[in-house]
Formats: sequence, structure tokens, C-alpha cells
Amino acid sequence: MSRITSPTGRLRSAPENFLTQEDIRAVNAGRREFLRGSLLAASAAMIVPRAVLGADGDPAILQLPSWSTTVGQPVAARPYGMPSEHESNLQRRELPGLSKASANSQSFTPLQGLLGIITPSGLHYERHHQGWHDLDPAQHRLMITGSAALLVRRPKVYTLDDLMRLPPVSRIHFLECGGNTGIEWGNAMVPTVQYTHGLLSCSEFTGVPLRLLLEDCGVDFAKARYVLAEGADGASLTRTLPMELVESGEVFVAYGQNGEMLRPENGYPLRLVVPGVQGVSWVKWLRRIEVGDQPYATREETSHYVDLMPDGRLRQYTSVQECKSVITSPSGGQTLLGKGFCNVTGLAWSGRGKVTRVDVSFDGGRNWRAARLENPILDKALTRFNVDWVWDGTPALLQSRAIDGTGYLQPNHRQLREVRGTRSIYHNNAIQSWQVLASGEVNNVQLL
Amino acid sequence: MSSCFDAALALVLFGTSAAAGAVDDFPGIGRVATPAEIAAWDIDVRPDFVGLPAGCGSVQQGREVFSAKCATCHGFAGESDVMFNPLIGGTTQDDIETGRVPSLLTTASPFQRTTFMKVATVSSVFDYIQRAMPWNEPKSLTADEVFAVLAYLLNLVDVVPEDFSLSSSNIAAAQERLPNRNGVTTDHGLWPGAPASEGGLGNGGQPDVVAVACMKNCAVEIMLGPSVPEPMRQAAGDPAEQNRTFGAVRGTPLHPK
Repeated sequence: MSRITSPTGRLRSAPENFLTQEDIRAVNAGRREFLRGSLLAASAAMIVPRAVLGADGDPAILQLPSWSTTVGQPVAARPYGMPSEHESNLQRRELPGLSKASANSQSFTPLQGLLGIITPSGLHYERHHQGWHDLDPAQHRLMITGSAALLVRRPKVYTLDDLMRLPPVSRIHFLECGGNTGIEWGNAMVPTVQYTHGLLSCSEFTGVPLRLLLEDCGVDFAKARYVLAEGADGASLTRTLPMELVESGEVFVAYGQNGEMLRPENGYPLRLVVPGVQGVSWVKWLRRIEVGDQPYATREETSHYVDLMPDGRLRQYTSVQECKSVITSPSGGQTLLGKGFCNVTGLAWSGRGKVTRVDVSFDGGRNWRAARLENPILDKALTRFNVDWVWDGTPALLQSRAIDGTGYLQPNHRQLREVRGTRSIYHNNAIQSWQVLASGEVNNVQLL
Repeated sequence: MSSCFDAALALVLFGTSAAAGAVDDFPGIGRVATPAEIAAWDIDVRPDFVGLPAGCGSVQQGREVFSAKCATCHGFAGESDVMFNPLIGGTTQDDIETGRVPSLLTTASPFQRTTFMKVATVSSVFDYIQRAMPWNEPKSLTADEVFAVLAYLLNLVDVVPEDFSLSSSNIAAAQERLPNRNGVTTDHGLWPGAPASEGGLGNGGQPDVVAVACMKNCAVEIMLGPSVPEPMRQAAGDPAEQNRTFGAVRGTPLHPK
């Protein structure tokens, strides 16, 4: 059997505050050499976890494992397959203390270990406003109405039977909570990318364009310029959308997610897909669409999901998720295995279209180089980027910044705060910094 | 208030007349909703009070309902943060005059912005209580009870007096005294529809934060902010148990051995 030693048991712990005030002053003065000099001792203690080799080689090779010498399990042993038991560390997690009512809370996607751009449905982040239900799809209805009778010629009711008979579309889009990274407006508050950026997922959704349904109901598009979406859960959450987005054909009523039906936590059997717009508008357990001639100022548009500006005003109806990126590995709470080659990987996205470029810096933003964008690169979807890095064992500050098709460049914290202050909670798309210590340990830090 | 009646009547007339002349691209899909079905689910209330049901409730009645059904979470005066952010607090008589709430900017307790410090539209509160409250029994209050609970809350904020009864005919007057009624703006680039200049909202998508991409030897001052607070690190759990035990990296143990 394998005798891989646990690398974590041999790690050298890093000092709590690796950079002293003196160090920071030195960095400010443009001297990075001090890091190399002062941290040689730490570097020397670097861990390169390897299999323990016997005299003849690796026991994992020399002694055949049980899976090479026995019969495995039969087909359909697990009729609905599950990840390997060795993958159990990658779970969505609630941040204790963030909410006092777990039915009105969120769980975060473990971005630190995810690959590619699709979020496994079981790891899709959650945000419920009054808990989730596994409701009976045969009893679920979608109703389309108007705020005034004349706005809809035929207010209609659709069952899942109806909706699944209609011609569907399947599209890959990211879904990000408007409050993602919200805890980090003031300073670095949480240690890992799961908690800094994990209210973010990306799936292939399947469903019917809302425009088709509104046309089927005879909506007066000249007068009805706003759309209210409403859920069937206890909160019956509501949000206002602009009719322009619906007319574009982008917005759809989805029942499918990643090749199967939506998961209950994600709105089974019906949710709205509003590409590029914050998650709260992607109303789950969608039961009603109302068209109207005014926005609705719902609770989620007045008391929550409003962005407090430095002049004391609350921005209302902030919806678009602006261009953003984050290095997912190496990231906070991780430790590099050792000097040498290290692929740096991350995700970039924009609510305004395609990501066109991602730059990565290893020195806190002094110098940047373009990362490789992996296909597919899709509108309003996560884009995976990778960049080669040979780590020399010295401290580094890793950052990524994304540019979208409109030419918009992801700002740093200082640029964002200069305009929006530190109290907004929502729509924090600042450049994330990860500090790599000589020990290989990676920490969440913010550059002032 | 008669707007509900008018709307329902119009729907009846329209529902029957329009269906006949329809062009049906998808025959056999869906059916026309009945007026009763529409009424059962069409519970939203807009800022102009379209959708507001008829009804009336006094501050005193509201206090009784609130004590029985709301106080466990919100406290008897809406002040509690035991379950949710407080409803009441942080507003003054001055705010009622000006329609702005300066305490939104105080740094003393950043996450204790109360509901009435923020909301600019009283309809939003009515709508939410009606659709989502009480927490464990949403949609169980009668229209009169919703009016009463809202009257009680408005009294706690000093928007209405102790002997007040809130109804569909005077709720617009309460709106005119809401503390943060002038405290919101839609002048931003994050509305994905038509801009205000074309009858929509916002500025048509113009970003407020503009950065420029420097590539080499950029003049960046590197000054690290405070590290992640230790209680937060503890609350977030052990990264060693949140990463794979093989692959390109390991999770850093929360408690180094």
C-alpha cells in the first residue's frame, strides 16, 4: 500500500505576521532583496513532500495495491454516482457567525479545488432567504401576469409539462451573488478563496427564453418595460428586471442544470437565468412573472442589495456583476509543495460579456504578464486562466486582473474605494492579492 | 381603496375577450389564468401602491400582533439583532424632516444598519411583511394585520403617532415622512436596461471606477493592510481539511503541529 507521508505534518509554520512594519517600509522603498536575504533560513526549511523511497524504489510501485490484485465493484453499485471518498474535503461551507439563521444564509463553493469552468451541481453555492424545499414539480406552476390588466392580453399559467414541451436553449453562464467578496470591503477578513470569492458558480442551464413566454401571453412590450420575478418559497423573493434584457433573448426560465434537472437548493424545478446579473435576480422556485411600467422597489431592492456610497446614499437596482477575476490556486490557506514549477490558475468573468485578457502579477502589481485563457471563452461565463510560474522560494504577492470586451479593467482596492468607500457590502470586484511566504504558505492580504 | 377591484374587473373583461383573437404559435401550451388564480398570487405592492389591498390597522393592534408573532426574532420594539439585523433604530426626528439618515455612515457598528435607516419606500415594507412574514409562517397575516404591524413599526420610528390607524387611504402620507425617503439613488452604471435618459434607470452602463493597465515597472506602492483577524481564521475552519491531500498544493493546517 501507499506510504505517502502526510506533507502537512512536516510543514514549517510561518510567523503570524511575516512582513514587519520595517519590512513593509523596505518594500515601499523598492527593496525586495531584503526578503531574499532575511528569509533564507525559512527557505532552507522548505518542504518538498515526496513519497518515502525504499532501497529499490517506491513501495507504491513495488508493492501492488489491492485495486490491482482484486475484483472491483459491479456496475450500478451506486445508481447515482458520487465523488471519490478521497474528495470529501471539497465541500460547500457556511461561514459560522455570518448569519444567525441558517435558512437565511449562504454556503460557499470550494473554488480552491475546482477545475475548468463548470461548478459541480452539488457544490454550487447556496443563498436562501427563507430556506429551501424539494417541491413537487407536478404541483408547480408558472403564472405570467401584468401590474395592469392591459399590459398582458392573456395572463397564462404554465406547468412543467407545458414548459418542457417548448423549444429549449442550453447556455453556460456564471452566477455570482452581489454580496460575493462583500466581507472584504474594509480589509482582508477571511483566509481562503472559498470564503472571499465562493459565492460564485458556473453551470450549463437549459430552459425556455422568457421572451417566448411573454410573447405567448401577448405582453404589450411598448408599455411593459419592467419585469418582476417571484419565487414560490416562503420568502417569495422578488426582484425587478429591465425588459431590455428579456427582449435580448438572454433571460430564460431554466429547469435544467449541467445535464440534469436543477438541484432543489438551486431552485428545482424552475429558476430564472439572468446572465451577467447578480444571483438574487435569478429567482429560484420561480412561480410568477409580472410585467409592469415601473420598477418594484422590493425588499431586496431597498433594504438589501443596495450599495452604500461615501455620500450616505444607497445605490438602488445595482444589478450587473462587473469584470472580476481571482487566482484560485495557489490561494489563501494553501501551501506550495516546494520550489520549482507551479501552475497558477484562476477564474475570470464579466457581466458585460466576454473576458478578453487576464494579467497576472507576482510582485504585487509592479509587473504583469498575460495569462493563457482556456477555451471555451463565453459571454457572461467563467473563463479559466493559467499561467506558468517557477517559484524560486522567495516571498511573492500574486494578483490577477481581468479585462472584458468593453475594455473595462478590473480595479484594485484603492481605486474601488476611492469611488465607493468601504461600506458598500455589494459588488466588490477588486483585485485579490495572495501573499506567498518563503515557507510556501499563502495568505489573504490586501494592499492599501 | 378601489384599485384592486378595478384591476380585477378589467382582468375578467380582458381575459375573456383577448384569448379569442390570439395568435397562438404554441398550440396546446399553457392556459389562460383565472381571475381568482391571479388574485391568489398577485400580492406585490409597488411604490405607487398599485397592488395594495384594502384594509386598516392601528398601532395598538400592531403592537399585539407584533408581540405575539414577531417579537421572538425582532424584539418587542424591533430593536433585536438576535436573529436578523434590527428593524428599528438609528433614525431621528431630523431624518423624518429631511428624508436622509446620516447615521448610515457612522462606523460604530457597521453591520447594524436597521431596516428603517435604509428603506426609501414604505410599500417595500408592507410588501415584504405580507409575502414573507412571520418567518415561520409566511403569508399567514391578514391585510388588516399587515397594516397594523406596519403602523406599529412606523410608530416606533416616530413616523406616525400612537393613536394612528394605517390604511390604504393614508399610507401615502406615511411615505412622505419615511426617514430615508430621499436617501437612494439610481444614478449608476449597474442597471442592465435602458438608461434614465430613455425612460429607464441609471446611466446606461458607464462604469464609475476606471483603471488603466500598466504592464511593466508600474509605480505601485506596496503597503500591506492588516492580516485576517484571528477569530475569523478560526471561524473559517482548518484549510488542511478544505483542500485535497494530494495535488499541486496542500491546505495549511490551522493549528501547526
